[in-house]
Order: sequence, then C-alpha cells, then structure tokens
Amino acid sequence: MSRSLKQVAVLLVALLCLDPHSRVSSAPICTHGPSGCHVPSLADLFDRVIQHSARMHSLSNDLHSEFEQYFLPSKNSIGKIYRKCHTSSILTPNGKENAQKLAREELTEVILKLLMAWRDPLFQLHQSMAHQQDFNSFSSNKALEMGDMAHELRKGVEKVAEKMRVLGMLGNSVTGLSAAETMLPISDSGEAMSNYELLYCFRRDSNKVQNYLKILKCRIVPEHDC
Amino acid sequence: MRNSGAVLILSFIAKLISQAAGVSAPGKPRLTSCRSPEKETFTCWWEPGDDGGLPTTYGLYYHLENSETIYECPDYRTAGDNSCFFNKNDTSLWVNYNITVVATNALGRDISDPVEVDVAYIVQPNTPENVTAVVVDEDQGPFVRVSWEKPRTADTRSGWITLQYQLRVKQKKDKEWEEYDAGMQKYYNVFSLHPDKEFMVQVRCKPDHGFWSEWTQTTYVKMPDYIPRERSLWIMITIFSVFIVLILTWTLNVKRNSVKLCLLPPVPGPKIKGFDKQLLKSGKSEEVFNSLVIQGFPPTIDYDDLLVEYLEVYDNEEQELVLDSKDLSEDCMKSKSPSDCDSGRGSCDSRTLLLEKCMVGREGSRSDQHQYSQHGETSWASTESSECQGLEPGSPEFSDGRVKTWPVVFSSPQPHHHYQVEAVKPVYHSVPEILNHSSPHAMPANYQNLQHQDIPQQEGRFGKPACRHSQSYTHGLDTPAPGVSPSRSLEYVEVQRINPENMLLLRPLSDQNREPEGSDYAGEDYSKVKEVTSNNILLLQRDTSYLCADGYSQAGQCTTQQPPHPCKPVIYQSHSGMPQEGMRVMGNGYVDTTVLMPSY
Repeated sequence: MSRSLKQVAVLLVALLCLDPHSRVSSAPICTHGPSGCHVPSLADLFDRVIQHSARMHSLSNDLHSEFEQYFLPSKNSIGKIYRKCHTSSILTPNGKENAQKLAREELTEVILKLLMAWRDPLFQLHQSMAHQQDFNSFSSNKALEMGDMAHELRKGVEKVAEKMRVLGMLGNSVTGLSAAETMLPISDSGEAMSNYELLYCFRRDSNKVQNYLKILKCRIVPEHDC
Repeated sequence: MRNSGAVLILSFIAKLISQAAGVSAPGKPRLTSCRSPEKETFTCWWEPGDDGGLPTTYGLYYHLENSETIYECPDYRTAGDNSCFFNKNDTSLWVNYNITVVATNALGRDISDPVEVDVAYIVQPNTPENVTAVVVDEDQGPFVRVSWEKPRTADTRSGWITLQYQLRVKQKKDKEWEEYDAGMQKYYNVFSLHPDKEFMVQVRCKPDHGFWSEWTQTTYVKMPDYIPRERSLWIMITIFSVFIVLILTWTLNVKRNSVKLCLLPPVPGPKIKGFDKQLLKSGKSEEVFNSLVIQGFPPTIDYDDLLVEYLEVYDNEEQELVLDSKDLSEDCMKSKSPSDCDSGRGSCDSRTLLLEKCMVGREGSRSDQHQYSQHGETSWASTESSECQGLEPGSPEFSDGRVKTWPVVFSSPQPHHHYQVEAVKPVYHSVPEILNHSSPHAMPANYQNLQHQDIPQQEGRFGKPACRHSQSYTHGLDTPAPGVSPSRSLEYVEVQRINPENMLLLRPLSDQNREPEGSDYAGEDYSKVKEVTSNNILLLQRDTSYLCADGYSQAGQCTTQQPPHPCKPVIYQSHSGMPQEGMRVMGNGYVDTTVLMPSY
C-alpha cells in the first residue's frame, strides 16, 4: 500500500517538475482582493488582536498572582521598593481622556512601542524562570507563552496598522518603529529587575495595551461591542 | 535632666488622668476598600478605630509610586462618611497609590496601615439599569426575554470599559437562583420556564478585569398558562411503548406454554401408591395390579367356613358320586391326591377338605374308619336313591347297608364321624360344626351344624318321612359325641329350639309345612333335587336363578356345565329319567352344597 502511494507521489512530483509552467513561487495570500479569498476585515483584525491581548494579559495576571502568592507571603507593602519599569519612559496615557486625546497613529505607536519593549525582557524572564528551581514547569511555560504572545500581538498590531494605512485611516505620520531604542530592563541602580518586578511591570503594560487597542478599535470600527 | 524628668512625670500623670477620665488617643483606623465604578474615578472608605472618647478627625493621605509627594484626599464628602473620593483629575490609571488614613484627636493620632491601590484593578461598575423581562409567545412556546442597559457611568462606547453581564432567575418559592451568562449583550432569552408561575429576575455586570457589580432590583415576570406541545417527545414515547408492547407480546407468544403453566397450573392427577405408570404403559397389567394388591386385604373370610358343608352322597361300593355329576365324582376321585386340594374348583375344595378331614379323622378314629380307607375318600352318604328304596317315609330304616349320612366335619379334635349303628356300614361324613366355629358371620343357612350325638336318642325327634336321608344331629354343646342316625334320610334341618338340656331341636327344612318352592334358603348354596334316577343318581335342579338364562326351571333346562364359582357346588343334571318311586323328593329338594371349613 505504502509502496503504491510512494509511487504516486513520485509521479506527481515528476509531473509538476516537468510542467514548465508550474513553478512554485511565494506569493502573498489573497493579494487580489476580496474576490480571491476571504480577506479579514479591519474589524475582524481588531477583534483578533484584542482577543490576543486579553489572553496575554490574563496570563500575565496569573503569573503575577502566583508569584505574589508563593514568593511574597508577607505582602508587606511598606517594605516594597518599587523600581521603575523600564517602559516608564514611554509616555502612555493614564486616563481615558488622555487616551482619547491621542491620535490613532500615536496610540498605535504607543502600543507597538510597548510591545516592542517587552520582546527581550519577556525572553529573559522565561529564561530566568526556567533556570530557577523554584518555578514549576507550568509557570515557566506560561512565561514562554507570554513571550510568544507578545511577539504575535506585536505582529498583529503591525498588520492592523498596515491595514489601516492601506485603508487610509492612518496617516503617514506614523514613523516606523524606532525600534532602535531597545530598552533594556535595567533599573537605576543598574541591577536587573527581578522576576517579580518584571511580572509586575508586564502585567500593567499588557493591560495598557489591551485598553489602548480597545479604544482604537471603537474609535475606528465602532460597529459592535462599543 | 530635670526638665525631661518633669516632662515625663507630667505625661505620665496626664495619661493616668486621661485613663481615669476614660479618654485616650484614637485607635488605628483601617482602610476597608477602594473602588472605581468606571475606571475614571475611585473612592476609598476607611473604618475608624476607637476614637478614645474624644472627637477625632481623620485624614487620608496618599502618594503616588516613585514619588514622595504626599497629597491629601481631595473630597471627603461625596462618597459619604469615612470616605475619600478621587475625581477624574486625581485619578491616574496604571499608577500605584499609597494611601493611609490618619486619625487625630486631642490626645494623639494614629496612622492606619498603608494600602497599595492600582485603579485599573479595583473597578466595580454600577448595576445595570432598566432591567425588563417580557414574555414572548412563539410556536415552540412562550419564553421570557430579559433586557437591560449598561450602567450609566460605565463608558463602554469608547471601549474604555468592557462589561459582561449576568442574570439570574428564580421563582419566589425557590431557594436557589438559576444563573445565566449573557456575555456582552444586553438581552437574554430565558426558556423552559414553568407556565403560570411568577419569576424573579436580576442582572449584574463585571468589567473584564474587576469586580462584579451588585445585583439589580428584582424584576417580576409572570409566565402565561400554556400547554407545552412537545410533539416529537410524545411521538417517541408512543413508538417506544408500542415497540415494548410488541416485544412483550412476542415473548409471551413464544413462552405461552410456560405462561399457561404458570397461570393455570394443572390439576395434579390422582396418585395411587405403588402404581407404576410405566408398567401400565408397557402392557404388563398383571404386574401393575399385583403391586396394588395389599396383602391381607380384604380380610379373607372363607365363606366356606361359614357355610354348612354340603353333603355329598356317595356310594361306597361303587365309589362313585351319585349326588353330583361325574365331574364331581371325578373331582372327588381326583381329590384323593392331596395335590388336588389346591384345585380351584369349589366343590373340590370342599370335598378335598372333607377328604382331609376324614382322612385325619380317620387316623384318630375308631375302627370304623376302616371304611374310609377302603374307600379312599370320604364316605359319602349314599344317595337317596339307594337308601330310599328301602325306606319308608318316616321309617328310619336303612336300606341295604347304605347309610345316608351327611358328611359332617367336626371341629372338635375328636374324630367326628358319623358312623352308623347297627349293621349299617357307616358312612362317614364330617360336617363341620357350625357352632364350634363361633363365627359370627351371617351364615347363609339356618342350619345348625350338627354334631353327632346319640343319634338314636334323637331319632325320635326327627319326624320326617321321605327318602331324604338327613342326618340331623342335635349337638349338645358340650358333648360332641358322634352319633349316627341309622335310617334317617339326609336333609337339612333347622334348629327349632334349644331344649333345656342344651340340645338343639332340629326340624328338617323339608317339612311338609314348608312350601317347597318358596323355601329357597341358601339360594346359591343349595341345589334342589329334582329326582332320583334309577341309577341312584340324584338329579339336582340347577339353580337357574343365576346360571340359567331363563330363570329357575323345574325341568332343569340348564346345560351341564361347571359353575364358575369355586365354592359353588357343581350342579349337574342328567336327564336320565324319572325319579324312582321309592325316592321321595323332599319338598324343597335342596342339597346343601357347601362345606364348612373345619376350624381346628
């Protein structure tokens, strides 16, 4: 049975190879617009992105609670020394009015910046959690997943931005991500932030992202859920 | 030194005084909760401690993370007592607030524990508004559509807050609520509510990361009275039940035999102990019935014992039976051999018994028994024919040596033989003694067993003529002395009376007084003598009452055949001629044909 299948496969390949016109080349999917295949709308894209960010935030929330529960039993807020998050340099609106005052492009940019800023630290977080004996595999997996999600989300948001730019919603004032500024999570004292601090900071930033995306969505595509 | 000491002493005294007065510094307040209804403002509440009996003021102070600037609560009133309201300008999201409450009174102050608050995570929206529940009637049945609106303060339109809703329904009497998640929509259809019942509905909401709001006020809705039409279910039920009925019917049909057995158990057949059906089936009926025979039942009473033996007239010289037919004689001849005693023929039985008795008696008897040995058998009384010839009616004279005696078998151990007196050759018979039998059974005859006695004594009592040689012996109960009536004809007698000497007074049955025809005493056991032939042969009339088809007939139409009954006498008739003149046929003409069994 398998032999016959193999033969058939070989035959097909040979046919394909022989055919001069059949050349495999990479081409974007659905380049020819809605007639070709189903192109997700901006609303769909936004929904996907928002869902993604929600999932990411919930993950970060869980990890943070876990950390807080197991590794900071005293919960003595007095003794906490909060170091600044490395993303605190990014100006983010801290209220609804502030966020609504921002233009779409700026908002998008903020989102992208945030997500970009967290690409490496999340990787580091995962690395440190995996190496430490204290964490069980479940937590380190969560951290890894979180990092992947952040990456995916960034990609998604970039796509959305692209889409918007295509649709003319976004002006060209959005400069490409000045990704050159890679921010390293280095505190003032120069020490690397601890895992808990990273988690704490990321939890907050993921919430920001989610919120900003929602605002963006309801501003751009206010069909439903707005 | 002095001043510090004085201050110490003063403070100590003040404390004592204050304690005596019941006042003290305020207790530690406590921040209970901080909530933001729309993620734009928030409120914190605290719990005051012991006020120490003095008016105490509270102040809320906060500082933002990574900032040392301490701010005081901007609004103590909006949210009520012991609360602090932060408006939009003072609220910053994604920033930690470090809040403390300070209680101050005249004697001191106290600071509560600080609390870290991030406004983005303390959102608890207000309750949804305008909850309406409407009954919608449709084909499948009515249902309730609950709809509501978002809380006024929550700004979901801009996407700042995303709320998800939840509603719960119950009847008034129910204990538990039934909860439904509505998601982010603002309506919900509730199905499967009981008809004609009132329901309570409540709704609440929650932001994606936050706390649930309070439940709304109860909304009441009444379901209409309707009959649920669930056709498909009923159809299924019907089909299923029909299927089950079919299966049951088929099963019953298959097992109808066992069902029949169960419902109508067969009536058990009769059981006979010792009865083997298989034997019956195999056809061996004798074995079957043999097993049923109970030994000893019925109690065999040999009726031979009860009956008076029948006397057979036998001619000594000729050694032939004259009384009975040839067969009888043959039987008697045959009955010489002891083996013939077991023959089934009744007459033979009696005869053989007689023979036996005679034989037995013979041994113990006197010399007269010699006669028997000569004969080899019991001496039978000679027939009347020969005897009668020489006799006159009523004269006890013997004919030439013929003694007509009835054979008598005595029950007494003594030899009981009739022997003739005088020169008559004794013809012995033994007649069983009826009396000695003491058998209470109904004896067919009124005849008493006679035992020999002093016949000559009794001779006079016999008052009968006729050829009938009847030896009638009265028997005293105590003296069974044999006696022989020399010249009496043999006939049956019946006891007339018992004289004082314990003697039975006999009266022959063949009395003139009697009606010959009517006296049919023994019926089957007696045979009527019809005539006496010239050959000294008694012709007996066959008892045609049971043997002959045409009833009792004088002429003896019956054929000569052996009667089936073993105890019955063989009655033979020979049409040989007229009765001799000398012979007197007795009135009744009966010959006793039964022999009683000796009881010794």
